[in-house]
Amino acid sequence: MERRDFLRNSALASSLFFVPNFVRAFEDFEAKSIGYKRLVIIQLTGGNDGLNTIIPYNNDLYYNARPTLGIKNDVIKLNDELALHPSLKPLQHLYDSGELSIINNVGYPNPVRSHFRSMDIWQSGSSSDEYLQSGWLGRFLDKHGKHPYNAIELDETLSLALKGETFNGIATNDYRTLYKTARDPYFQNVLNHYNDQHLSEHNLGYLYKNMIDAKSSANYIYETTKVKLSQEDYPQNKFGKQLKSTAQFINSGLDTKVFYNALDGFDTHANQQNTQKRLLSIYAEALFSFVKDLKRNGTFEDTLILTFSEFGRRVKQNAANGTDHGSANNVFVVGKNLKTAGVYNQLSSLSDLDDNGDLKFTVDFRQVYATILENWLGTSTKGIISVPQRKLKFI
Amino acid sequence: MKVEHLKHLYWRAGFGVTPSILEHYKNATKSQVVSDLFKASETTEPLKIDLSEFKGFKTLSFKENPKLIKELAQKSRKRLMDFNIAWVNRLNTSDAVLRERMTLFWANHFVCGEKNVVYAQQYNNMLREYALGNFRDFVKAMSKEAAMIKYLNLRQNVKAQPNENFARELMELFTLGPGHYTENDIKESARAFTGYFNMLDGTFRLRRFQHDYGQKTFMGRTGNFNGDDIIDIILENRQCAKFICEKVYRYFVNEIIDKNRVESMVEVFFEDYDISRLMQYVFTQDWFYDNDNIGNKIKSPIDYLVGLSRTVPFILKNEKAVIKLQKLLGQTLLDPPNVAGWKGHKAWIDANTIMVRLKLPSVLLNGGMIALDDEKDEMRRQFFKRNKSKLPIKTLANWDKFQNEYKKISIEDLDSVLINGQLNKGTLTYLKSLYKDSKQKYCIQLMSLPEYQMC
Repeated sequence: MERRDFLRNSALASSLFFVPNFVRAFEDFEAKSIGYKRLVIIQLTGGNDGLNTIIPYNNDLYYNARPTLGIKNDVIKLNDELALHPSLKPLQHLYDSGELSIINNVGYPNPVRSHFRSMDIWQSGSSSDEYLQSGWLGRFLDKHGKHPYNAIELDETLSLALKGETFNGIATNDYRTLYKTARDPYFQNVLNHYNDQHLSEHNLGYLYKNMIDAKSSANYIYETTKVKLSQEDYPQNKFGKQLKSTAQFINSGLDTKVFYNALDGFDTHANQQNTQKRLLSIYAEALFSFVKDLKRNGTFEDTLILTFSEFGRRVKQNAANGTDHGSANNVFVVGKNLKTAGVYNQLSSLSDLDDNGDLKFTVDFRQVYATILENWLGTSTKGIISVPQRKLKFI
Repeated sequence: MKVEHLKHLYWRAGFGVTPSILEHYKNATKSQVVSDLFKASETTEPLKIDLSEFKGFKTLSFKENPKLIKELAQKSRKRLMDFNIAWVNRLNTSDAVLRERMTLFWANHFVCGEKNVVYAQQYNNMLREYALGNFRDFVKAMSKEAAMIKYLNLRQNVKAQPNENFARELMELFTLGPGHYTENDIKESARAFTGYFNMLDGTFRLRRFQHDYGQKTFMGRTGNFNGDDIIDIILENRQCAKFICEKVYRYFVNEIIDKNRVESMVEVFFEDYDISRLMQYVFTQDWFYDNDNIGNKIKSPIDYLVGLSRTVPFILKNEKAVIKLQKLLGQTLLDPPNVAGWKGHKAWIDANTIMVRLKLPSVLLNGGMIALDDEKDEMRRQFFKRNKSKLPIKTLANWDKFQNEYKKISIEDLDSVLINGQLNKGTLTYLKSLYKDSKQKYCIQLMSLPEYQMC
């Protein structure tokens, strides 16, 4: 409190302009229980082949299982066992400076090999035999969020992950259009007359609720976002644009706890090499620009970036130069003050696979979530993760 | 039939109602109206655009000229847009509304995304042909479609190395639903579908040397099963009929399942898997017309767009804009998000899409203006007129057609035709306060409400 008073009485009141970001963040922290730390999710949709992402380049079993798909050339060695896919070159710098943690073999018991079901499991934070209608971040925001803009998905539609029991994040790939649309005075008149206590209990109420949310969120995002803050060069593709907008929002100090981004196309049943090469380089280049952008604006310290995919792929390649759906996979955590940077844990054995010929998981994905919730977002997992999880030590 | 019931039936079995339909059937019985709906959809008129530029190629021509593949792929992408436009036009104008409605339903059941326009068109017409036919024949035909063979990797499914993608989705999404088969059932049935292949022109062919003729054990049975046998075994399981009936119920009746009603549907459907019989049954049940089921469904983007166009026909100056509209609303035909299709219901709506929907009628039909009936309306009208060129989508709306069709409907009764279900009380009060001097103005006001999103 004293500190807050001090800030208020000093430079802050007169010229907000020159207040460094960390001070403003501190101000936010004082004002809101939810804290100022932000989480950015990057979802690699379709099941990224983790074994060709973090490559066991010294392992004959790997090359035997993948006579044509195994990657030998230009790998970026991380230690005596593992190397990055050549397309991930931009991540090497993050790795070297201790800002990247690679967690291997993340999965869950009784893995499901259907995209949709496994994605729902990851997004809802459920067990494989449990069907949840809300997302883990949605439930976090049920407790700590007030406005849809507390969670923004940079897309046209909202994922299950950002849908709570009562809270819904906002999905937008163009916040300016959203703002202009919401301003029509007819809509204001309709809302002024609207009366119903039971907004979300039936479909029509749900529509009105979204209309109200849209109006207030559109105003807030539009008025708070400062476009010029992001001057970094991003790759000219959809994913690059998503991360650029995310950086704009973060650097403008939007009161948003979670940003959700996705890159699709990883379902490589056939002719995997070129597709994965292209996608991983889109991912790595955009991520590199994003981190640089945050660093320049002093917001990297308060941002944690989690990358996951709904499952890994089978160890043995198929006849079409591709791989079929597998189970355990690696997860990337990028951030400033990681407790355990680099390769967090050993890759599961390639000689001891499950009945389907897939990697066995050693880390439950909900352990990753629990760690983020408690150690980063500063909240208890109660009501968010149903099965108690042992925390990890990456943050 | 009551106006409310006619509207309900026509919205669920078709794409909305017009005053002339309401007038024509006001003294008819339920079974007469339903039977007329089926009659209008008795025959199948395939949807075809000119694809002659893709004819006459042989596999050899690609080997000799690798550039050709790229060229054709580019052309195909363009023609695919044309096919999308043609499909929307068909939905806007067809009298076979039930067949088109069912085609749309099945397109989101046997989901398939295909970039090759020849295969995409063939697949689309397969859906249309079987939409009201026999489900057994339907599944078998679907499994042999070039588009599906490509989409779910049947081409890579060979004896030496089976690819499980199709076998898994066949059971999980197309017939039984999750939890009604084992991983082993998937492995064994994948073998039965090995060797499925299509010729360049899209016709099916079984590559005999890639097909596994050996013994398979599937769902407790052992034999030298082929793909069709597997489908027959799956359909012997009552769960398959139940899975489909639940989906039909959620789509056509109410997203919240009523177990007894679904059970009565399964009784009908499991007998012979006749889709027409099932739908006839649903549309003639009293419970179909329960108040709880009327006006409680959120229109899909396509329902919404087609409904608009069937009320006030409009021409897009750039006809490709119809694809942009679908994208904005979250449903682009021929481009499903994944093999599970669109989730539908509340998933159509978030803060973003609701605003697009509320604003779109005024943009498409009225130069962006929603009247307010206050002193500033004239100023607003001038503003929108001046800024006409800045509208993102340019249209020509045929209000004469609307005025003519709605001649006998009084301005106060307009909402009873255009809105399904109940208006919110506060909103109703607001509407009553409006000074209604033009049907066009009031029509736009009604279409710009959350209530207009319901059917």
